[in-house]
Amino acid sequence: MKPRTFRIVFAAVLGLCLLLTAAHFAYACYAYEHASIIQFIAKELW
Amino acid sequence: MFAFAADRRGNFAGKTGKTAIRKKMIQMNRKRLFRQSSILLLTLALFLGFNGSLYRLLTCRLTNNFSDSAQPKMVDVGRYLPFEAGSDLPKIHTDFRLTGDLPVLDGAAALVPVYAAVIENVYPEGSVTYEGGVFSDDNYYGENFAPDSRMQYRNTVRGYKAVVDGTADILFSAAPSAEQKQYAAEKGVELVYVPIGLEAFVFFVNGQNPVDSLTTAQIRDIYGGRIRNWRDVGGPDRPINPVTRLKGSGSQSVMDAFMGDRPIQGKSPLALFGASLGYSFRFYLMDMVGAAGQEAPDVKVLRLNGVYPDRETIRSGEYPIVASFYAVYRADDPNKNVKKLVDWLLSPEGQTLIEATGYVPLG
Repeated sequence: MKPRTFRIVFAAVLGLCLLLTAAHFAYACYAYEHASIIQFIAKELW
Repeated sequence: MFAFAADRRGNFAGKTGKTAIRKKMIQMNRKRLFRQSSILLLTLALFLGFNGSLYRLLTCRLTNNFSDSAQPKMVDVGRYLPFEAGSDLPKIHTDFRLTGDLPVLDGAAALVPVYAAVIENVYPEGSVTYEGGVFSDDNYYGENFAPDSRMQYRNTVRGYKAVVDGTADILFSAAPSAEQKQYAAEKGVELVYVPIGLEAFVFFVNGQNPVDSLTTAQIRDIYGGRIRNWRDVGGPDRPINPVTRLKGSGSQSVMDAFMGDRPIQGKSPLALFGASLGYSFRFYLMDMVGAAGQEAPDVKVLRLNGVYPDRETIRSGEYPIVASFYAVYRADDPNKNVKKLVDWLLSPEGQTLIEATGYVPLG
């Protein structure tokens, strides 16, 4: 892959990853506010 | 590039030299492709690793009461429908019956069994109606009570607004928050709060957490931000995640009152991944989410100052945080049945019904 092509592909992949991560994080913040705390605590990893 | 074009003796390329250059170029392209692929794969691995961990540690634990049949509801209201065969509502012997203008009852999730039992025992059949004629728990808040139904379920936050705005006559709820009192004041509505039963405010942890008991002082220190690790209260070396509830919810109002003038401190985002401490009401946690007197699966109710919350320790006052729950109504409600029903709830028959639902009657 030519360097210029790679830079475009990399920017697209990175952008998509960051966008999906931001969406995941935003959903987690929203859902945390409305979640059942009993379920939240019951599913804790030990 | 030019250097590659010379052979070992320094002669510039002939046919053999061109082949060597081509091989070298192919090697370089391969190396570059390998490097580029590695960078892309590493980026994807970091993305998947971060999001996978976030999902495993946090997102998959977030379930709520909004409409998705895959998500557990806060309350399975279908268990507490008046006049339905096989419901979990208690029947008591009483001759008291309401007729005429029947008050609309609404309330907190934890008190659905109480006010549904009131309707079951003293309202005429047909007082509870559903949109479309049949009960369904698949809409936004989970239930489809019709606008003319005498039973509604809007939970504490919306329920307080409903009683102030006049779309509910009696709200069954914990004590109001400052905001709820202010909302009533702003609307120029005077609310009457009548205690009708007792309930323990309980703290709980994951069932695997080795801590069994905390003191009230330790809990205030945890929520006040002074204690941040379980090892400081006899547990493992893990950060404490002090979970709070929605502002205005019944349990949050009781928690705010418990903390007094000591504000609940914000926590580090990393505390989210620690071991949690939460709070709720005993009956809700142990009879509505859990099965008849059992703790909800995988959580453990803590002893407080060494006392376990049960009916006896609530009744005796031995358990340190006992809160009243209330029938709340507008002082200017013209419906005479409102006062009549609240008076009946305070009578021996009404208190028997409170006890039969699983709550503790007033002393």
